[in-house]
Amino acid sequence: MTFEIEVDGRTRHVSIERAGGGTFRVSVDGAPTIVDARRVGEFGVSLLFPGDAHAVTAIDLTPGSAPGEMLAHLAGRTVPVIVNGRRMARGGAATGSAHGEHRVTAPMPGRVVRVLVARGDEVAARQPVVVVEAMKMENELRSPRAGRVKEVEVVAGASVEAGRVLVVID
Amino acid sequence: MKVLIANRGEIAVRVARACREMGLRTVAVYSDADRGARHVRDADQAVHIGPSAASESYLRIDRLLDAARASGADAVHPGYGFLAENAAFARACRDAGLIFIGPSADAIESMGSKTRARAIARRAGVPVVPGTDDPLDAAASEGEIRAAAERVGYPLLVKAVAGGGGKGMRAVDEGGGILDAVRVARSEAGSSFGNTAVYFERRLQRPRHIEIQLLADHHGTILAFVERECSIQRRHQKLVEESPSLAVTPELRQRIASAAVKAARSAGYTNAGTIEFLLDEDGSFYFLEMNTRLQVEHPVTELVTRVDLVHWQLRLARGERLSIDPDRAITPHGHAIECRIIAEDPDQGFLPSPGLVRALRAASGPGVRNDAGLVGGEVVPVFYDSLIAKLIAWAESRPDAIARMQRALREYDVIGIKTTIPFFQWLMREPDYIDGRFDTTYLDRVLADRRGAPFTTISETEALHLTIAAGLDAWWRAHGGVAPDQAGPQSAWTRVARLDALRVR
Repeated sequence: MTFEIEVDGRTRHVSIERAGGGTFRVSVDGAPTIVDARRVGEFGVSLLFPGDAHAVTAIDLTPGSAPGEMLAHLAGRTVPVIVNGRRMARGGAATGSAHGEHRVTAPMPGRVVRVLVARGDEVAARQPVVVVEAMKMENELRSPRAGRVKEVEVVAGASVEAGRVLVVID
Repeated sequence: MKVLIANRGEIAVRVARACREMGLRTVAVYSDADRGARHVRDADQAVHIGPSAASESYLRIDRLLDAARASGADAVHPGYGFLAENAAFARACRDAGLIFIGPSADAIESMGSKTRARAIARRAGVPVVPGTDDPLDAAASEGEIRAAAERVGYPLLVKAVAGGGGKGMRAVDEGGGILDAVRVARSEAGSSFGNTAVYFERRLQRPRHIEIQLLADHHGTILAFVERECSIQRRHQKLVEESPSLAVTPELRQRIASAAVKAARSAGYTNAGTIEFLLDEDGSFYFLEMNTRLQVEHPVTELVTRVDLVHWQLRLARGERLSIDPDRAITPHGHAIECRIIAEDPDQGFLPSPGLVRALRAASGPGVRNDAGLVGGEVVPVFYDSLIAKLIAWAESRPDAIARMQRALREYDVIGIKTTIPFFQWLMREPDYIDGRFDTTYLDRVLADRRGAPFTTISETEALHLTIAAGLDAWWRAHGGVAPDQAGPQSAWTRVARLDALRVR
């Protein structure tokens, strides 16, 4: 079984087959390795690499905010992981965090204070695009990646609900 | 004594713990959003006090008093925030025959006004930051504002008389900006505190924020504790606190502590409170303000002095005499550091990140204390402060405390939302922090220089492992959950071994 998995801006091709006894033959971009893997609890995955000095990694995976997006929790850090983003986009199952198009959404209810970009603008990764006031603070919402602004869906002064799409970056 | 805790979140949990340890029954109050919250489940009784908005629930004095009556409480602990520094609330509690676990309404009132507090400190012989003695109210003319600012000198700070938490505060570098700054500070102060009066204070260039915890009984004894160092602030909000401070010698500690005691005595202070000072680069220190309540960062003091401050708040409120050895209170035993774990995404400019916490696995082990306000399965609501837990590490020395904090931060998983943990993981490895080279301007300067660079970093190997874990997760789900060959008698032992491996990671 094969997957396309994006972590930290890099997409890797992963193929997985069961090797018995709780182990799996996993190939990442063509490089094979044996992984001894277990589910631990509702979210946990324990990985053990017998061929790599018996290294151990413990990761928790929970669903993210968009289809195909997972949040991986590793040693106090939280990292988004996108599973089969491009395939889901092709199949029409996902639109939000699919490859190519990214939506900047309101993480909580609030009021749009300023819109910092216009349709057609080029934006850099992490560039602020909208300022939303919520929880008594002004919060800059940033573009997740470099691209061009495809749509601006709000105006200054608008009240927004959590999850409302504010800007679409292509 | 039955104690109504007029608060929510981690501080309500903290106070309820002390009450239970002392055999006191507790009453929680809750808004619509908090029916399932941990502080409600931890209490003996709980009373609904209104809708989710704090102004309709946790800030409603009438409903809190009704709750006390309905539950048979005879004392009220205000926690911090909400009504903790509201003199009218303290007065209303006492008028209703309830013990208010805090200072008198008069002491709250006199220390709550910044200009009055400065006058009290000055009368007690405690140095204050040079500034205007009288508040400038809305009637002050442009000419009066300019003249007052010239007398104080630039750079200066415009501050709200009723202010706190950085609201109603503006920095002004030279005369051109003074009128604008006053206008903005007034408007913020009006909406936050209902009082538009402001005053000016000279701005120190690189001050440290040092504060002294006090306990005062009703028999004339006031006790000062080892200082807390709270200079790690983002936009005037403390993020990391520690005790003791690297910048304070035993001799300076005695001087600051005795200044704090003098100021508190002249205000007729009782119960727990904290006096905040600015410590200048040349070693001079200035009274900044008094917080007439328990502070968020009280645990670092508890760990280095082995005194339970909340127990003492309750005992002092009952009229007991302070019986703590003053030397023990002022002599640090080891070093403690606190990190505020907040539902904010440090990689998005500390954007609030409320939502469902699917699981919360707190750090534990030697020297680690976790004061959390919720458990896994709870939602961090959008209505209130987003502090979800305080992680405190104690060790014999500061370097060991930093190492222990680094270890504890690795162990701490808040699953489902973003928190400030990656920021602390970064800070605890910063040479300037490790060497103690910081002041209250440090963090804002560093954050500006970083221009939004992410604090969450993962190595190439970790990225590979995350990729594999996500692939296996998808594979398992495609195969209907956990594969059958993972069950069975043999693998039970493997599973136990793995759980152990998870814990020691």
